[in-house]
Amino acid sequence: MSNTVFNRTNIFIALQYLLSRKKQSILATLGVMLGVTTFIVMINFMTGVNDFLDDAVFNGSPDITVGAKKDAQKHKKFETRISSLPDVTEIDQLLTEDENVQSFAHQVQSPAILISNTMQLPGGINGVFPEEEKHMVELERRLLDGKGFESLKDENSILLGVSLAKKLQVSVGDELKMILPNGKRTQLKVGGVFSFGITTIDNVRTYFSANTLQKLLGQEQTTTHIHIKLKDRNNIALKSKITSRHDDVVVEDWQDSNKTIVIGNKVRDILTWSVSFALLLVAGFGIYNILNITVIQKRKDIAVLKTMGYASGDIVFIFLVQSIIIGVLGAILGIALGYAISYGISVTPLDTSDFIIVDTYPINFTPVYYLMGFVFGVLTTILAGYFPSKKASKVDPVTIIRGA
Amino acid sequence: MILEATHINKYFKDPERHQVLHDVSLQLHDGELISVYGESGSGKSTLLYILSTLDTDFDGSLQTQGRDIKSLSSIELTNFRNEHIGFVYQFHYLLPEFNVLQNIMLPAMKLRDRTKEEIKADAMTLLEEIGMKDLAFRPSYKLSGGQQQRVAIARALINNPNLIVADEPTGNLDQKNTEMVFELLKDITENKGKTVVMATHNPKIYKNSHRAIEMIDGFVRL
Ligand SMILES: Nc1ncnc2c1ncn2[C@@H]1O[C@H](COP(=O)(O)OP(=O)(O)OP(=O)(O)O)[C@@H](O)[C@H]1O
Ligand SMILES: [Mg+2]
Repeated sequence: MSNTVFNRTNIFIALQYLLSRKKQSILATLGVMLGVTTFIVMINFMTGVNDFLDDAVFNGSPDITVGAKKDAQKHKKFETRISSLPDVTEIDQLLTEDENVQSFAHQVQSPAILISNTMQLPGGINGVFPEEEKHMVELERRLLDGKGFESLKDENSILLGVSLAKKLQVSVGDELKMILPNGKRTQLKVGGVFSFGITTIDNVRTYFSANTLQKLLGQEQTTTHIHIKLKDRNNIALKSKITSRHDDVVVEDWQDSNKTIVIGNKVRDILTWSVSFALLLVAGFGIYNILNITVIQKRKDIAVLKTMGYASGDIVFIFLVQSIIIGVLGAILGIALGYAISYGISVTPLDTSDFIIVDTYPINFTPVYYLMGFVFGVLTTILAGYFPSKKASKVDPVTIIRGA
Repeated sequence: MILEATHINKYFKDPERHQVLHDVSLQLHDGELISVYGESGSGKSTLLYILSTLDTDFDGSLQTQGRDIKSLSSIELTNFRNEHIGFVYQFHYLLPEFNVLQNIMLPAMKLRDRTKEEIKADAMTLLEEIGMKDLAFRPSYKLSGGQQQRVAIARALINNPNLIVADEPTGNLDQKNTEMVFELLKDITENKGKTVVMATHNPKIYKNSHRAIEMIDGFVRL
């Protein structure tokens, strides 16, 4: 006597039922496949983009920025001096003592006009202290051409974001003129070109020696901003700590500065999960329907199986196995197709995008997502198959056979 | 004796409580071919479902091999039926997804007291006995009614049960097939020592059985 329902006979019967309605079985399998494929492609794509943006944003911009408060009253139309950040020493002290601060760097930012042989662009200059800034930004990883922060030892060297360089039609080694608000003209040389991959940075970002900039501006002691990297960027208690002690500075955290990107990431997450869930739900309903109809149509056969000695457990198994086979098959096909499509996207060249600057879309191939897709697919079918199977096992042979 | 029913009373609650079997007592012996006949609605099928242990919702007792059927759990009953009782219905109820041979093998594939090869060999022997060996691999729905009923009898026999319960096995068959099926059942009792109890409306059958029991409005006529 076979005591376990998991035996070759029950599987054989289940297979026979599946094969006797090939069309429906194939359709159900394709349904699961579609759900899993969509999940895989979407999650690969969306998390790929999200990770890419996170990396660019969090590496390209500080978690917290401290700047000088713009005084509307004193603001003149043609400001020739740039406003300094007050209390720099006290704030430095505070940051050194704070446990959550990973590193911080001072910057001197000034408006400037950049002039190449062919172009003239108004913009801004970021004066940085290379020894500090290298702990804030991994520029080496972003460098397309030339040198990174070490090239700023040469006081006429400027580093440009790739889009900005393109607009100015310059490349490494080319000459560039800079006009500061005080009217000072300086001859510069492009020392390096970098790309963070997002237009909001690559369009405007420049790096220049802060010391040189201070000298050129004639404001030797001026700092305009402090950039801070946190150990835990979700803990921004530091922000209120600074504002409560210094009311003449403006403090921005990463969420303020990257609102659109933060929201975009959330939207993409929600989209991925809801679309995948909806598709799997539809696939699940498909299986539920097919099995339910089968159970109703096959009530007599189930009754006969029961009179022959097939117990309720056997019947549940026979029907559940059908949906599990559909689920596993659909999930495997879905994973394969999902991978193929994701791979296809990852190697399809992109022209230009307004938002991110990449050759191809960033795709996240993390295996965990494939495992998740598989588990979701199979889980859906087990759930969908369970109720019809239970129903089948409750068929009362006497009622059915008598009713014929 | 393989089965003893004593003082069986059966009620249905639908549409209102009414009694369909009245104090039925019956003994079935080895090698016996017993026919139950009587008017439509007299309770033949109801009695057979009780004797075959499918219906345990009755008053009275049903004993087999010293065991009280009512004391068995549902899984024990299922296993008991699988091993000891074969069924034949008026509508043969072969499973259309399976071929003739597979249909016959199904009860044994559940019992698993032999290897699959042995089961197959036994099924082929049975097919030979019912004269259908050459149809072994045909889908079961591509058989005539008489052929299907013979296959159903072979299926009832595959686990070598002591008791075969048949509810109007010839009800849907023509004269020739009726005789063929009846001879087959009779042969089982006389040459294999099995017990067959069947419901029938056919006088030729119940008159030629070893024992004929008439049912009238739920009573066994003595
Ligand atoms: N599920 C049920 N609920 C209520 N009453 C039932 C049920 N099944 C059968 N009956 C009633 O029980 C009585 C006996 O029915 P049964 O099927 O045993 O008759 P039968 O002798 O087999 O008739 P037939 O020759 O037509 O097959 C009938 O009056 C029938 O209406
Ligand atoms: Mg009847």
